[in-house]
Amino acid sequence: MAVPISQMWTVATYVLKKKLAGNKRYPLVLMLEPLFRCNLACAGCGKVQYPPHILKKQLSPEECFAAVEECGAPMVSLPGGEPLLHPQIVEIVNGLIARKKYIYLCTNALELKRRLPEFTPSKYLTFSVHLDGQREQHDFSVCREGGYDIAIEGIKEAVKRGFRVTTNATFFDGTDPNSVRGFFDEVMDMGVEGIVLSPGYSYEKAPDQNRFLGRARVRRLFRAILSNRKPTWKFNMSPLFLEFLMGDRKYECTPWGSPAFNIFGWQRPCYLLQDGYTETYKELIETTKWEEYGVASGNPKCANCMVSCGYEPSAVIDGFGSLSGFWGMVKGTFSLYKDNHALKLLNEPAPHGPATLVQIEQRERALEGTNA
Amino acid sequence: MSAEVLKYTLEQVEALELAPGTEHNHLEGWIPELASGDDLRQALEKAFDYRGDVTLTLKNGERIEAFIFNRLTGPTLAESFVQYFTPSATDKRKVSYADIARLEFSGKDRAAGKHWEDWVKAYNEKKAAGEKNIALAPEALD
Repeated sequence: MAVPISQMWTVATYVLKKKLAGNKRYPLVLMLEPLFRCNLACAGCGKVQYPPHILKKQLSPEECFAAVEECGAPMVSLPGGEPLLHPQIVEIVNGLIARKKYIYLCTNALELKRRLPEFTPSKYLTFSVHLDGQREQHDFSVCREGGYDIAIEGIKEAVKRGFRVTTNATFFDGTDPNSVRGFFDEVMDMGVEGIVLSPGYSYEKAPDQNRFLGRARVRRLFRAILSNRKPTWKFNMSPLFLEFLMGDRKYECTPWGSPAFNIFGWQRPCYLLQDGYTETYKELIETTKWEEYGVASGNPKCANCMVSCGYEPSAVIDGFGSLSGFWGMVKGTFSLYKDNHALKLLNEPAPHGPATLVQIEQRERALEGTNA
Repeated sequence: MSAEVLKYTLEQVEALELAPGTEHNHLEGWIPELASGDDLRQALEKAFDYRGDVTLTLKNGERIEAFIFNRLTGPTLAESFVQYFTPSATDKRKVSYADIARLEFSGKDRAAGKHWEDWVKAYNEKKAAGEKNIALAPEALD
């Protein structure tokens, strides 16, 4: 169990209160982007391609606090851009801690070691360090040799100082599942609290348009990675979302579960897609044509998406909002997901680009495959 | 978005191996002909999607260099607006479609010209030449 009990309790009671109040659409995580400026130029990222005058803009602490209070989500993710490039990021973080929000500060950690003395460890603050795999994979993915080593230094220092630290990986086509499993061993050895992972989104503005995973290949890859787990691996994610990635569960997207706010306003409909902006959170919720998004809508911009910001809220709401979901979450927390078919996938040659279609065998897991 | 709805069936979506990427539109330098209201709406939709500055010339002769980040469309041109930032002002601004006489995709397209293949090629060349700390750097802000 990687997520602390106090955080789980906060989220669980929040979901139950919303459910009892009959709220149909409510946020779980505010994706608060304080700036788009970044010190990396990753091939799979479509977030930072803007003119310089836009990249120089940033949200003030007051704008951040107003957005947090307006939407009321119990958790706040600070992505970007690189949040540690924001000159007032410490003030923003401290203000969110004072508001008792669970914060995930998403960073590539190039500046982490240098900036750490400015922060104070708290149960509310987690540094979520972007690491896309082992050294070679990560450096190639973020287009910077040496990036992995710098990030590792930051992680170790943060752990040493008593901060909560998770790693956050995005996977694209060509990912070697054995390498990813080796990566899990490495980061758990560093003392991180847990691992966060997701398939990449097919950003229209990303430099690399040829390596976005389709749904069939996502399920195959994550089945290979996440089955037959080692007991030492901890995931800072809903077990139900991981089962969704492995092809064991079907969920629809919950785009309002992770609303995004940045210098342009409240982003419609979600953190990944830019179909416009509203001035207020209320306007976002009330005027967005939600039926036009998600896989069931047939919208091609949503067709391949299995990304955490849309589907983890679905899993969390299922987990804390129904008895069957809760039982699934308990089972998933303690299961090692034994699966011989997945073992065979690991023995296949490492991918070096597009491979042939392999559909995941859909079947109920046997109880003996779990520790529940 | 509505015109694109139901382009895929659920079965097709679930069977996708590789998600198709987006073909990049080369709009930099383009000056669309704005002969009708529909022309203007379509051009401003592209400007909203463009990751560079554009130059708007208003019917009163004013020229505005702007990054268009939003459009608020209504039943008439007068009731439709684009929202933008300019390089020199800090606040969000907006202008009615009905006031726009000319549009030019004048700024550099920041989403063009960087490809994975280029990175791989450059990386391999530099590696073969014995270079260390090979990296793609973000563009300078000044």
